[in-house]
Amino acid sequence: MEPAEAEFLAEKELVTIVPSFSMDRVHLIGGDLGPFNPGLPVEVPVWLAISLKQRQKCRLIPPEWMDVGKLEEIRDQERKEDTFTPMPSPYYMELTKLLLNYASDNIPKADEIRTLVKDTWDTRMAKLRLSADSFVRQQEAHAKLDNLTLMEINTIGTFLTQALDHMYKLRANLQPAASNDSQDF
Amino acid sequence: MAAAGGEEADSDEGSEELVLTPLQLICSLEQAWLNEKFAPELLESKPEIIECVVEQLDHMEANLKRAKKGDLKVSVHRMEIERIRYVLSSYLRCRLVKIEKFFPHVLEKEKSRAKGEPSILSPEEFAFAKEYMANTETYLKNVALKHMPPNLQKVALLKSVPKPNLDSFVFLRVLKRQENILVEPETDEQREYTIDLEEGSQHLIRYKTIAPLVASGAVQLI
Repeated sequence: MEPAEAEFLAEKELVTIVPSFSMDRVHLIGGDLGPFNPGLPVEVPVWLAISLKQRQKCRLIPPEWMDVGKLEEIRDQERKEDTFTPMPSPYYMELTKLLLNYASDNIPKADEIRTLVKDTWDTRMAKLRLSADSFVRQQEAHAKLDNLTLMEINTIGTFLTQALDHMYKLRANLQPAASNDSQDF
Repeated sequence: MAAAGGEEADSDEGSEELVLTPLQLICSLEQAWLNEKFAPELLESKPEIIECVVEQLDHMEANLKRAKKGDLKVSVHRMEIERIRYVLSSYLRCRLVKIEKFFPHVLEKEKSRAKGEPSILSPEEFAFAKEYMANTETYLKNVALKHMPPNLQKVALLKSVPKPNLDSFVFLRVLKRQENILVEPETDEQREYTIDLEEGSQHLIRYKTIAPLVASGAVQLI
C-alpha cells in the first residue's frame, strides 16, 4: 500500500473545527454532518476540515493528544519499553503530517510536535526492524503485531513479505537436498 | 477452519446486506478494497456492494445537478463522491490487474465451479477474462507459434502462467474472534501449533492459513 493510500484512510478520522460560516446539516452518503454555525465547534472528517481550512472557512482544533506534554510522555514511554506502546490514534503519523501541513497556524508549538512525533516514529521503526530481523532469523510462521499502525505496517510490509516469499522459495528448493548446507542465505 | 464455516458466514452476510445503511455499505466497499489489495489471489466478486455503491453515487449526482451552483454544500458532496469513486475504481482496477495476471487459473476455477456456488467473477469480469485469454492465444499464435514446427505449436497457458502464491505472508486485523487456528511449521525442526485470534489484534501470517477467514469477513487484511 502506498503512503498516500494510508493517508487517504486517515482522512476519514474526525477532527473538531470552528467554522466561520453557517450551513445546515449536510446529508452525506457516509452520514450526516453539521449543522455549521460560526464560532460553534463541530466534528468533521479530516478531508473536509483541510479543504475548509484551505478556503479559510474554519479554524482547526488539534486532537487532544497533539500536545507537547502528552507527546513527550508517549515518546519517553516508547523509548522505555521494549514492546510497542499503544498510540493515541491509529493514524498518528498521517494526522500529524496532514494537520501540521495545512493548519500549523492553529496548532500551538507545531515544530516541537513535529519533532516529538518523528522521534516516536523513529523509535518504533527501529523496534520494528529489530523484530522483523528476529522474525526472519527464527523462521517464525506467525507474529502478533498489536499496537502497530497501518502506516508502520505498510512501511515495512511489502519489503518484508516479499523477502519472506523469496526465502520460502529458496528453502522449499533446498529441502530435498538437506545435506547441502553451503547455500547459506 | 472448514470451508463450510466460511460458507455459512457468507450466507449470513448476504442476508445482512439487504439492510445495510449507506455508511455500512461504504465500509464494506473499503473492506473489500483492502482485502483485494493485499490478498495474493482473486477474491470473490461483490456484485451487490458495487451495484449499491454505483446506485448511491448516481442518485447523489442526480441530486447535485438540481442543486444551486457554487453552493458550499455541493462542493462538500462532490468531494465525498470523488473519494468513494476513487475507492471503487481502485478496487475494480485491482481486480482487473489480478485477472490479467492469473487469467488461465481464474477461468479454470470458474469452469470447475459447482452449480450454486457463487462466482468469483462478475459477468463483466468473466467476459473480460475470456477475451483476454482469446487475445493472448491469438497473439502468441500470430507472432510465433505458427512459424514453429507442427509439434511445437501448442502452448499450455495453465502451466506457463504463474499461479497466485497462496503461501505468501499477509498482515491482518481480526474483526471477529477466532479460536484454534493451526499454524504450520516453517522448518522441519519446528512443530505446528494453534493460536487464537483475539478481536482487534493484528497478525502476520501465511495467507493460506487464514484465507477462509478473509472470505467470511472475520479478518481484514491490512
